[in-house]
Amino acid sequence: MGGPITDAIQIVHAPVGCAYYTWATRRHLSDQYAWSLPGKLDNVAFNRRYCVVTDMEEKDVVFGGSKKLLKSALESIKLFPEATGVIMYTTCTSGLIGDDIGSVAKQIEQETGKLVFFAEAPGCSGVSQSKGHHVANRQFFGQINEIRRKQPERVTPEEERTPYDIILVGEYNMDWDLKVILPLMEKIGVRVLSTFTGNARMMDLVRLPDTKLNVVHCQRSATYIADMIKEGYDIPYVKASFFGIQQTNKALRTITRHFGLDELAEKVIAEETARIQPALDWYRERLKGKTVAIYVGGPRVWHWIKLMEELGMKVVAGACTFAHEDDYEKINSRAPDGMLIIDNPNEFEVEELLETCKPDIFLCGLKEKFLGRKMGIPTLNSHSYEKGPYAGYVGFINFARDIYQALGAPVWSLVNGKEE
Amino acid sequence: MSSNCQPIPIEGIAYNQLKIEKKPIVPEYVPRDPVLVPKANRTVVVNPSRTCMPFGAMFAGLGMHRGLPFVQGAQGCTTYVRYTFCRIFQEPASIANASFHEDAAVFGGRKNFIEGMRNLIVRYHPDVVTVVTTCSSEIIGDDMVSFIKAARKRLIKELGEEEGNRPKLVLVNTPSFAGSHIVGYDRASRAFLETLAQDHSKPNNRINILPGMVMPGDLRELKHMLREMGVDAYILFDISDVFDTPLMPPQTLPYYPEGGTRVAEVEDMGNSIATFALCQNEGGLGARYLEQKFEIPAFIGPMPMGVKNTDLFLKRVSEVTGREIPKSLKDERGRLLDFMADTLHHTMMKRVAIFGDPDIATGITRFACELGMEPVAVMSGTKTKTFTADIEGIVGEFGFKPLILNGSDLFELEESLKTMPVDVIIGNSKGADIAKELQVPLVRAGLFVYDRVGYHKRPVIGYRGGERLLADLVNAIMDFSYPEERTQQL
Ligand code: SF4
Ligand code: SF4
Repeated sequence: MGGPITDAIQIVHAPVGCAYYTWATRRHLSDQYAWSLPGKLDNVAFNRRYCVVTDMEEKDVVFGGSKKLLKSALESIKLFPEATGVIMYTTCTSGLIGDDIGSVAKQIEQETGKLVFFAEAPGCSGVSQSKGHHVANRQFFGQINEIRRKQPERVTPEEERTPYDIILVGEYNMDWDLKVILPLMEKIGVRVLSTFTGNARMMDLVRLPDTKLNVVHCQRSATYIADMIKEGYDIPYVKASFFGIQQTNKALRTITRHFGLDELAEKVIAEETARIQPALDWYRERLKGKTVAIYVGGPRVWHWIKLMEELGMKVVAGACTFAHEDDYEKINSRAPDGMLIIDNPNEFEVEELLETCKPDIFLCGLKEKFLGRKMGIPTLNSHSYEKGPYAGYVGFINFARDIYQALGAPVWSLVNGKEE
Repeated sequence: MSSNCQPIPIEGIAYNQLKIEKKPIVPEYVPRDPVLVPKANRTVVVNPSRTCMPFGAMFAGLGMHRGLPFVQGAQGCTTYVRYTFCRIFQEPASIANASFHEDAAVFGGRKNFIEGMRNLIVRYHPDVVTVVTTCSSEIIGDDMVSFIKAARKRLIKELGEEEGNRPKLVLVNTPSFAGSHIVGYDRASRAFLETLAQDHSKPNNRINILPGMVMPGDLRELKHMLREMGVDAYILFDISDVFDTPLMPPQTLPYYPEGGTRVAEVEDMGNSIATFALCQNEGGLGARYLEQKFEIPAFIGPMPMGVKNTDLFLKRVSEVTGREIPKSLKDERGRLLDFMADTLHHTMMKRVAIFGDPDIATGITRFACELGMEPVAVMSGTKTKTFTADIEGIVGEFGFKPLILNGSDLFELEESLKTMPVDVIIGNSKGADIAKELQVPLVRAGLFVYDRVGYHKRPVIGYRGGERLLADLVNAIMDFSYPEERTQQL
């Protein structure tokens, strides 16, 4: 979750594997680059360019790895003086041997004066990624408070604030979703201070409580922090989704209502929907009546149900990976009749789901998309997108295009033995 | 454009319309602290070129027919490996997991294992389950041998003697803090042979091949060479029809690819006349085990890449099997030589950096030397006992003195290359950033190629693999640095 923050050295305190797999695999994109050669900004942004890991070995497991972590952090600050600070992550291994990352963080802070954050999110301490998010949220918040208390000069000065400041919480800038969302925000008259944590800087973390309103995008992973900011700083938040037309409309209205800018929202909605209407009609014409099965991380499922309906498609099955109980209530209330719902399916259940529902298309993550195809079912990686951005109005057209491409490819009519 | 052509609104917003303005993180270029560049001078690892042991064991386990790896550890350890397989091969990869929670850390993973194993076998009916340990389970101190016994009991109780005993369970201990993916695969090769291979009493007149973590295209090339020679072989682990499978629905459930080495084949590997481990670090352990246990001669490395190494492999196969090297293969050799002669003006004296897993890096180094290229830096992400000496041996024959990095990281390689310019880099996708930074072409080869398509389908081994790699090399150099008019006539 800290991964999208761009000006931090991200140190994974673990054996090498944990870090290698996560290195630049997600498309949380950023615009902040390290120089590749003098005068040349090329390559990938800083947060994806370097993978820094303590590489715990047998002796560290036996004797503890705190010293190694401290040394590694100090070295990387020397190697990458351009970074604002470090964010350190523990994993199962460092968690199990009980390395005290908090005191290491203090030491680094004292020695270097850099910003230091850390998250202890071992995969084994929770049922899923989602709990990891929760833990990280709480820890980040505690650290933010402490920095603000000790270094009040880092808090946003009064004169730099406006009454229309918002922060997008739980927006990770997948495939540059932000390039679509930010212009919309500008048009409705609000100022986006930062995002948590897509394309964010470390100082944005510190200044999280300096907003007038939080807009929570990915609801599961980030509601926690919005709640904490509300409790601690009395800053309200609203929930919003920028996926699909109706949901984006609603999001704009919700945000503007808070600031009394309703008219602006209506103007933007009218403009944007008119702009994309021809494209939308074109795709809807070709997609209507098609059936779809959805398998994604918790909060997204109910987002996608609405989206599919906007394209005239019919959701016949849905499954979640890290859904909590209230996720299910939401899904149930939004589910069309006859839709099959499965909680945290294993792979076999995914196969069965495809076999029984025979959807025309399967929206899923990377791991399932190749499985679905083997069964002759077009698939789409809606987790980390095929060719995003997918957010907002134009993003929705991208999404429709990718669905159409998946469904309409001639390859499927060449496949033998496919039952029609 | 004709006016009656209805415009198709292709996309909402194309990627290149996003206009991302790249902002520098600092105003000026900062050279890296030279003292901290060599890995030997620092603790921290930056941009590793190796991953964890369970990866290798899972790769192996998926190379068995109806084989499923079962990972004793947290979900993350499995999910990430599956991601990685999916990215490389664009194929599904089924891997089961014990789903450790907090209680597993406190009480040990026994219950998770037995229940998980039961569910796996009842639902998926695998022929063989590779039990893969992780950092967590090794630290907690799970006694896997007793867990496996208990799981077997549980299975027999529920399914009866025959069915309960049918699926083989092979344990591979892979605490990642003790070695890389290379070691994980190496250990798996021994574990499978130890657990399954039977005594040396019914000679089968076959050879065993432990290919290492090569690509489906390599295995198809290997099979082609053996077929041409008329040699029967067992291949452990044969991922060719696992990680490169046809789109041919409908599938029966649960989905298994058709390929993979059969359990019966591994059992019979104790009866073979010789074992060839193509990679000394990925399968060498297994070959040595068969040699010690059943006195089956082991031929370990080098990877049959380029001319001499392929010659050596075929010569050895010919000697142990008594089969002649046929004209068809000699012709392939001749065609590779012909290609080398026709491209020598593009390869001679070109400076090259090579990185990857130790065996492929060694194989590529020899081939590059055969092409008249000069290796400037050679790196293995995994440290091995012999890598430095192996490379020194090869380059010594040709009179070169490259920087040899045995078990370093890509950061050191990249920063070193800033002071020692090269014309081309050969390595996996993790080199893309480096190549871009140094403004030289990257020729992709090796295990972790996921940012371009089709590489897993094409061989680098054998004479034909050499042709392919040579074509890639020359084309990359030309794409990169030749003015158009020069390439009109090659
Ligand atoms: S390094 Fe260890 S903990 Fe990390 S993914 Fe690999 S096995 Fe799991
Ligand atoms: S589950 Fe734990 S050990 Fe495995 S990758 Fe996640 S944090 Fe690392």
